[in-house]
Amino acid sequence: MMDSTMTANRGNHLGLLSAARTWPDSGHWRVPNWIYTDPEIFARESERVFGANDWLYVCLDAEIPNPGDFKRSQLGTRDVVAVRDGSGTINVLLNRCAHRGMQFCAASHGSVKEFVCPYHQWTYDCAGNLLGVPFQRGYRGQGGMPEDFRKEEHGLRRLAVAQRHGVVFASFGTPNQGFEAYLGERMLGYFDRVFDGRELVVLGYMRQRIPSNWKLMFENIKDPYHASLLHVFLVTFGLFRLDQQSSVEMDDTGRHAVLVSRKGAQETNDATAQMRAFKANFGLRDRRLLDPVREFPGDATVVMQTLWPNLIVQQQSNTLAMRQIVPLEARRFDLAWTFFGYADDSPEMRQRRLRQANLMGPAGLVSLDDSEAMLLSQAGLDGNDDETCLVEMGGRAVANESHMVTETAIRGFYRHYRAVMGL
Amino acid sequence: MIAVATGLDVPLELRARIGDLYRAYECVLDDGELESWPAFFIETCTYKVIPRGNQERDLPVAVIYCESRDMLIDRVVALRETALYAPRILRRMTDVPYLRAIDDDGLHLTANFALFQTMQDQPTEMFLSGRYQDRVVDDRGALRFAERLCIYDSTIIPTSLVYPV
Repeated sequence: MMDSTMTANRGNHLGLLSAARTWPDSGHWRVPNWIYTDPEIFARESERVFGANDWLYVCLDAEIPNPGDFKRSQLGTRDVVAVRDGSGTINVLLNRCAHRGMQFCAASHGSVKEFVCPYHQWTYDCAGNLLGVPFQRGYRGQGGMPEDFRKEEHGLRRLAVAQRHGVVFASFGTPNQGFEAYLGERMLGYFDRVFDGRELVVLGYMRQRIPSNWKLMFENIKDPYHASLLHVFLVTFGLFRLDQQSSVEMDDTGRHAVLVSRKGAQETNDATAQMRAFKANFGLRDRRLLDPVREFPGDATVVMQTLWPNLIVQQQSNTLAMRQIVPLEARRFDLAWTFFGYADDSPEMRQRRLRQANLMGPAGLVSLDDSEAMLLSQAGLDGNDDETCLVEMGGRAVANESHMVTETAIRGFYRHYRAVMGL
Repeated sequence: MIAVATGLDVPLELRARIGDLYRAYECVLDDGELESWPAFFIETCTYKVIPRGNQERDLPVAVIYCESRDMLIDRVVALRETALYAPRILRRMTDVPYLRAIDDDGLHLTANFALFQTMQDQPTEMFLSGRYQDRVVDDRGALRFAERLCIYDSTIIPTSLVYPV
C-alpha cells in the first residue's frame, strides 16, 4: 500500500502515469479495472474531470433564497461555499482563506453578513472580496503587511457560475461554453422538463458514503440493462421494465445521458419470464407507497439524467432529487441527495413525494440495491488491475437507442472520459 | 427499567412494561426477526428514520418514511423478497428510556441508540448513533409505538441502511 502511494505521488509530480496504464486496444467498450482503483488516475480526474472547464452542480437556488444565505458544497475533492450577496447574485467561493488556506466556513448552511476566517480574522464579503486584515498596518509602528500589499489582490477564489431555472453550477476553469450549450439541445430539453422555471422547494437531504469508485455511480444510472434485472422492486411493480417503451439518449459528446422509461401495459410475458426478478405475487398492503401521478408533459414516467461530471437528476415517478457525486478517493465517494418539489405542489403531492422517497436513498427499496451493488463491484475490481470489464451490450457503437438492452451510454461516457483523461 | 422525569408519578409496573417493550424491540431486530418487528407498532403508526439536520430544519424527507403498520410490513416483505444486499449483522444498543411526559396522546419517551454493523469478513464498525423520539400507547392491553422517530446524528450513512433502526 505504502509503495503504491509513493509511486502515485511521484507520478503526479511528473504528470505521468505508469506505463501499464494504457487503455486496451479494443476501445471504449472495454474498461480496464485500474481506472477504478489507481490513485494516480484519481488525481488526474481531480484536475481534468472536476477541476477544469466543465460545469459542476453546486446547489439549488432555493437553498439560499436571501442575501447572506450560504450553503457549502463539494465539487470534486474541493469544498466551496455558495452564497447570495447583497445584490442577489450567487457567488461560489473556494472555502479556503486567501491567507493561510484555512477552511473558513465550517457550517453546512446559514446566513452571514460577511465571512470571517477564525484563524486570523481576515474578513471577506459575500462576493469574496477581502475587506479587512487585522493589524494590516502593524501595532505601534511595528510589523504589519508590506506597503505594497493590496487587499483587492487577495480575495477568495471565485468560481465561474451558471444558473438555469433554479439550479446553480460552477466551474474551476474558464468554460468555453455557456451552460445551455454545454448540455446541448437534447439534454437541455430533458433538464427543462423538470426545471421548467417553477419555484422549487427543498424537502430534505440524504447522504451516503459508498466504498466504491465514483464512476460506478454514473455507470449505474447510464445502464438500463441492470434496472430490469437487479431492481426486483421496480420490476415487480412495473415501475421500470425491459418490456416498457424506453430510450437511452445522449448529447453529441456522450458525456451526458438520459434513461427514459414510458409506462406501458403490465403483463407477464417473455420479458418478465427472463427476469428472475419478477415476483408476480407480491402486492403492497399500503398502496400509498406507490401512488404515482403523472405530472410532466409526455408519456415518460421515469427520466434519469446524468450530467457530466457530478450530477444525476432523478425523476422517478413523483420523487425528484439531485444526486450529487462527491468523489473522495479512488475507492470511495459520497452520494449527496437533495430532494425537492415545487412551491405550487398540493399537500397531497408533497406527501406523495415523501412516501415515494422510500424507494430512494441509503435505505431506498430500489436504491439500496445500487449502493450494495457498487460495494460488491468494487470488491471485485480491487486487486484485479490487469482485468477489463465488458461494455458491449447493444453493440460497440455510441448511439441513441430506443430500448433498454444496451450499454451505449456507458460507452459514450468512456469515449468522452478517455479524451478528457488522455487515456 | 426506565427513568422518569421529575414530578411524574409512574407505577413500577408500568415502568417495567415500558422497559420490556424497548428491550424486546431491540432483541427482535438484533435476532433478525424482521417479521415480528411491525407488531411493535399500532396500525396507524408513524415510523421514520431521519437525519438530525432534516429534523432540526423541519425538512420532512426521511430515509425511511412509514405512515402505517402496513407500510412497515411492506418494507419487510420488500427486504426479504426484492432487495439485494451484502450479508451483515446489526446490533443495537439502546440506553435507558427516559419518560418525559404523559398526556392524552400517550407516553412520550426518548432514548439514545447506537448501531454497530458487522459486514462479512470485516471488523465491526460504529454504524449509526442517534436518539429515538417515541410516543407509546396502550393498544388493547399491549404497549406499542404510535410514533417512533429515529433521529440519527451524522448526515452520512455508511453505504446502506438495510435493516430498521
